[in-house]
Amino acid sequence: MRKLSKIAIVSCALSLSLPAVSAETLKLGVLATLSGSGTAWGIAMQGAAELAAEDVNSRGGLEVAGKKYTVEITAYDDRYKAADALTAVNRLIFDDQIKFIVGPLGSAPALAVLPVSTENKVITMTLAFTPKALSPDFPYSFRPVIPTDVFSDPQVKWVVDKLGAKRIGTLYPNDESGQQVSIANEAAYNKVGATFVAKEPFERERVDFVPLLTRVLAQKIDAFELDGNAPQTAGLLVKQLRELGFKGPIIRTGGDATPDILQIAGKEAAENIYVHQAVDPASPVMKEYTRRFEAKYKVPMNAFSPFFYANIQALFSAMKQAGTVTDTDKVRETMLGMSNFATVLGKVNWTGEAQWKSNQQLDAPFYVAVLKDGAPQIVARCNPTECK
Amino acid sequence: MEYAILLAQAALNGLVIGAMYVLMAVGFTLTFGIMRVVNFAHGEFYMLGAFTAFFTYVYWDIPFVLCLLIAAVTIGVLGALVERALIQPFRGDETSAMIATLAISVIIQNSAIVIWGPTPRQMPDIVQGTLLLGPFSFPWSRLLVIAAAALIFAAFWLFMQATRIGRAMRAVAQDKEAALIQGIRINTIYPLAFGLSVALAALAGALMGPVFSVSPFVGLTPMLKAFVVVILGGLGSIPGAVVGGLLLGLIESFTATMFGSLVADILQLLLVILILLVRPAGLLGQREV
Repeated sequence: MRKLSKIAIVSCALSLSLPAVSAETLKLGVLATLSGSGTAWGIAMQGAAELAAEDVNSRGGLEVAGKKYTVEITAYDDRYKAADALTAVNRLIFDDQIKFIVGPLGSAPALAVLPVSTENKVITMTLAFTPKALSPDFPYSFRPVIPTDVFSDPQVKWVVDKLGAKRIGTLYPNDESGQQVSIANEAAYNKVGATFVAKEPFERERVDFVPLLTRVLAQKIDAFELDGNAPQTAGLLVKQLRELGFKGPIIRTGGDATPDILQIAGKEAAENIYVHQAVDPASPVMKEYTRRFEAKYKVPMNAFSPFFYANIQALFSAMKQAGTVTDTDKVRETMLGMSNFATVLGKVNWTGEAQWKSNQQLDAPFYVAVLKDGAPQIVARCNPTECK
Repeated sequence: MEYAILLAQAALNGLVIGAMYVLMAVGFTLTFGIMRVVNFAHGEFYMLGAFTAFFTYVYWDIPFVLCLLIAAVTIGVLGALVERALIQPFRGDETSAMIATLAISVIIQNSAIVIWGPTPRQMPDIVQGTLLLGPFSFPWSRLLVIAAAALIFAAFWLFMQATRIGRAMRAVAQDKEAALIQGIRINTIYPLAFGLSVALAALAGALMGPVFSVSPFVGLTPMLKAFVVVILGGLGSIPGAVVGGLLLGLIESFTATMFGSLVADILQLLLVILILLVRPAGLLGQREV
């Protein structure tokens, strides 16, 4: 009897001292470019992870299988280089014991990182536009952003039809990331009867493009394609093109660089630029996300950010449904099973089976915008088959 | 006609880049001529000049001429102090002095990364718009660099020819012992020459800041180019640095415009090798006795 009462007292005390669920930590890694010309994209990814963590933690943590997890972010810089990305992913997986990574960013870093993350069953969310980033060989690689080879065909067709441009000039960085985007874009232009009459590779560190642009402009181009150049570079290209007296249309068939183009080249030079627009900046949810991001980071929000936030929303939801934060196979399967999932981008799905034999591409609508008075104005709404 | 536009555009851009190389190389060659030290940190003083101009122009909102002046004076004084503290102890030991400048370069660059971060910053244009002359278009921001560089070099030349300190510097460069006998204080001349040399680099950085961007890594390319220029023009020769700087800028611009950037890099380095083979002392340099 005395023994029984002791047990009763101890269990009472335990139930009083412990909360209903115990607190644990869930670590989320960020592997992105946080210095140099790709920083705008890296901050977009890091921001998405930190805002998602902030949201979950402010509600007391992520509740999975009766436990509350406080989300912690560990971020490393890959300087847009494959070797640095490889070092960073090894640190994330082996030192920090992380199972979920927001990244890698560039195509060259992605190709270095994915074999390692796959072998260790680590779920990654990449920004890399290379078609090799999604494949049955990399079952844990997800891509929340829409890559060039999905949006270039419909966007280029729409823009070329509208402008009647036949002779296109372009400059692209002389590495895997730059070449991939340039190849996809050139094919898209050729399909609709336009050609790259002047295309020049350059080393990524270059900042003076005037000699190369002079060479390109001598070919009497109708329009200039900014390709997948990093945001800072895209800004410098626009500035120097306009300084050389080029008044024709400039087209951006690559990731979002609008804030940098406006900041570097200025409002006036940025007129008559047609850009791929990943999100609708006028939607109220997007306005609120942008406001939060810009208040926290004091830089203009890059439109890639909400895509990563949406992917993390799906990831957290999958963890809850699967009841685990460690079994990446279960989390992956649950995430892939979700359809019409409500996110900051609206309802999203997974696609990509036909193109890459991997259904791990986020599917969301995208837009073509023209820059006017320093802001993008949406002029066409697109899906992978057409813009209108 | 189109060819003429292309050539005019290439010439202007060549002069802009050339003007920057001249300012860099004149300072670089001055240190060598007077102190016999190859200053590996020269590019970092260019970077510090660019940052000084950036902060004073963006945050203090003062005329750009004042920003240039502040950059030249602060970086010049810093250079003189650095010479006194870190290079003077190695006087007469050129190899150790060179290694000291290499160390200074690493310290300055890494401190800049720690303090200002690695992200490039965009400096607003000093002048906006483009000068349109018929079919030719010349951005004002680039014309400004040429004009400012010419004025700065003229002032420097006048200083070297007409002032006591300038003459003393030239005397030390020509013959250190003879200058000592004439009563020239080498311990005063050396830090002054070093300060003047890095002030020129700082001015080059400050002028180029608005044209490109400002980051802790911007000094590397101008530094390498300064090397090429002094090899072209002759180590220690100031007229050689001017001729070499303009020549390299023009060659770089014309080859990149005509053949693309990859071929341009190859041609430049081939030229350097050729000059080293044919005229090892450089175009206007004198063979060391």
